[in-house]
Amino acid sequence: MGNFIAMRRSTDGSLHLRNPAIRTYLVSLLFSSLSESHNKPPNISHLNSQPVIGSSFRVLQSFSRFSCSSFEVETIKKLACFHHFFVPPSGVHWFSSQAVIEPKTSDGLTVDNIVARRWTILDESESDWKSHAAAIAQSIQLIKKRLQWKKMVIRLEMLSAELNRSDLWDDPVHAGKISREHGSLMGKMKEVNGFEQELFEHIDMLKLAREENDGELESESIRALLRMRRSTKEKELQALLSGEQDSCSCFIEVQAGAGGTESMDWAAMVMQMYKSWAQHRGYGVTVVDEMPGEIAGIKRATIKLDGEYAFGYAKAEVGVHRLVRISPFDSGKRRHTSFAAVAVIPILGDVSSRFQINESDLRIERFRAGGAGGQHVNTTESAVRIVHIPTGVTATCQNERSQHQNKAMAMAVLQSRLDQLEMARQAQLNAQHTQSLTEISWGNQIRTYVLHPYQMVKDLRTNYEVSDPDSVLDGDLDSFILSFLSSSLDKDEDNL
Amino acid sequence: MICRGFVVLEREMNSSFPRAIRSTISPSSLVFKRPKPPFFAALSRSISVSSMPTSPNPQIPLFLRPPKFSSTLSDLQKWQEWAKSIALSVGSKFVDIDNGPDTILLCRELKWLLEDAVEDKSTVPELGSAKNGRLVRLKADIEELYVLWKQRIEERRPFQYIVGCEHWRDLILSVQEGVLIPRPETELIVDLVGEVVLENKGLGDGIWADLGTGSGAIAIGIGRILGSGGKVIATDLSPVAASVAAYNVERYELQDKVEIRQGSWFEPLDDVKGALVGLVSNPPYIPSHLILGLQAEVGKHEPRLALDGGENGMDDLLHLCKGAALMLKPGGFFAFETNGEKQCEFLADFLTNKLETSFHNVKVVYDFAGIQRFVTGFHN
Repeated sequence: MGNFIAMRRSTDGSLHLRNPAIRTYLVSLLFSSLSESHNKPPNISHLNSQPVIGSSFRVLQSFSRFSCSSFEVETIKKLACFHHFFVPPSGVHWFSSQAVIEPKTSDGLTVDNIVARRWTILDESESDWKSHAAAIAQSIQLIKKRLQWKKMVIRLEMLSAELNRSDLWDDPVHAGKISREHGSLMGKMKEVNGFEQELFEHIDMLKLAREENDGELESESIRALLRMRRSTKEKELQALLSGEQDSCSCFIEVQAGAGGTESMDWAAMVMQMYKSWAQHRGYGVTVVDEMPGEIAGIKRATIKLDGEYAFGYAKAEVGVHRLVRISPFDSGKRRHTSFAAVAVIPILGDVSSRFQINESDLRIERFRAGGAGGQHVNTTESAVRIVHIPTGVTATCQNERSQHQNKAMAMAVLQSRLDQLEMARQAQLNAQHTQSLTEISWGNQIRTYVLHPYQMVKDLRTNYEVSDPDSVLDGDLDSFILSFLSSSLDKDEDNL
Repeated sequence: MICRGFVVLEREMNSSFPRAIRSTISPSSLVFKRPKPPFFAALSRSISVSSMPTSPNPQIPLFLRPPKFSSTLSDLQKWQEWAKSIALSVGSKFVDIDNGPDTILLCRELKWLLEDAVEDKSTVPELGSAKNGRLVRLKADIEELYVLWKQRIEERRPFQYIVGCEHWRDLILSVQEGVLIPRPETELIVDLVGEVVLENKGLGDGIWADLGTGSGAIAIGIGRILGSGGKVIATDLSPVAASVAAYNVERYELQDKVEIRQGSWFEPLDDVKGALVGLVSNPPYIPSHLILGLQAEVGKHEPRLALDGGENGMDDLLHLCKGAALMLKPGGFFAFETNGEKQCEFLADFLTNKLETSFHNVKVVYDFAGIQRFVTGFHN
């Protein structure tokens, strides 16, 4: 603390900046760097300059937005050099996991500290900086949890080590994959570190303003905290869908359980629920394959959802859905329980990461073909089944109007299934990814829909329930999906 | 010589054909005003007509007609329920009689008919829950829809003639009575050509012929994969087929790539004798005695000319095999569709061992149903 005050005085003497915004950045820049270099052992101190470099950039960026004198430019340049602004001259670019360093305020506050202090979080309208800061810190902590921060850190270290291997580019496909993943992880982590950094800059600025009795600067800082409080709250939701495949389009498959017509009817209801849900969300819906039941409903069906984050949301629906009602197909009006299983498969956008299918490994069959074929037969049935012989994985499409289109669609389904298998295989090699991926297989019973003797839909994973099954079956699923996504990521303490 | 003949014909095509087609986009061409199915089998195959089709007007497929009719959503729903109920009453009756369509297939066809008939496809899912008298624009009068579906079930009129089109590969081809509806199996011929063109670029820039083109399906499929120098000449004896093929060629803007000539087999191809890099055909190959027992959609409605291959079904295939040696350049490729294992084996042996000018790499190719369907090979 003594150091802090001494430095503040000395910098105060040399910096006369007219623009308060620039002053904010420069002052916090100095403070954070000084306090860090005093708190950490010297051998890793160069790593600590990473966030500072980040803020030096921001100084330069903000510089271009605000006009300032040439004196100020000189000062900024000097500061930038002082903080190792330039890449070391060796020319070797080392990949690292530097984004992991935890930012702090000048007096050593971290996000975890702030949350631990349990400052009362008041309504947004109360202009209390501690309340804002606590809300922001809580949001950041939640975002980190949802991003599975701990796993990210470990993964990033692994990827960095991999990237620094000299034989990396012997396998360019693998190298490309690794460096893309590294880049995307670094991006996500830097964004969060950016939030932390920003929070501490505001807090430091606020403390400074108080010490100097600068009322204007103080209320500006509080307003900045409030803006940040709102934007991090929004980010919480986005962080729910931060999985590698979450942004992909996907296939949804529904299969009727045992129990004949009643469960086939239930499967059709479940499929209809997803069609309506997807249409409300604005996704493109295409029926790929549909095996109707003899009397009613479907034995199984596959639909394709096209749109951003279709997989991220739909993956929350994987599992067995149970219906309890008086069956309209039972003349004795008895209560029946039926099951329908739901699977969701992402359609990978990144072509290079897809499973490579060898043409000669495929057996392509006309589905339900019989007789002499050719000119003898006129049928609009041109369903195609493709079997991937080495894995036994199959895909069928019968809803297109030409065999060619059915084949193309079946190929797309097959590709996605094989991609999913490949991901599962990779996940077994990669222990920390296993958990999220095993969730995407045909799972256990996840939800019960009771239409009789009372009305209720209850998610067995989250205990979330509503008493209006009709609206859920009409596609009102978002609350179920969001509560599952947040509970599965938020409750897991290991994520932080 | 060869080139000159080609160019002259092409100019004739360009000048006279588009006009003939444009004139057909008149509202009067309704599906049930169809001509009686012409049975050309009675005609002698050796008749050679002039090289330009003197065409009857081809019909416009339902989905391309202007939406100048309308109906309330509830009336359309009534029609749909009625149509579905008669589709349900069929059960497996047609399957048992002659391996015709079952209820599931008919219901899917009904959905497609509806999609083709409404102006805006997105209204189709609303039908289930239609409560109001909102108007939907239709491409056919609702009365006509009743007539069409009755024809589908009672007369077993093929679905493709009902909607006036067949989805084949990534194409939507106009079809009508008098023209064979292209089969899914035949799609593979285009894949086979695609493979050889990929291996030998020279083949992609030469002249191909599709004999007995029908709706023009194979010719259009090939026309779309050839290089800038490639062309397809498609022939058909039937004037209806020739005009429908020309209409389809125009729809895919392939007039510069695919030329339609009316006439029997090789007869309209004198100018390209020995100059073809490829020859493909799906000729009639059903033995005559089997025609009577065909599925109703085929036997009662499709042109016998395109189905009946003579006593053992191989009259035309043999004619094509013999002609192939004269028509193809050295190294040229051929692919013929056949009735199955027997014909394939016979032809493969015939082409390899019985002809003076031999072929090499003669292969039998299976279709997706696992039936030996095609004979392919190269001219020495």
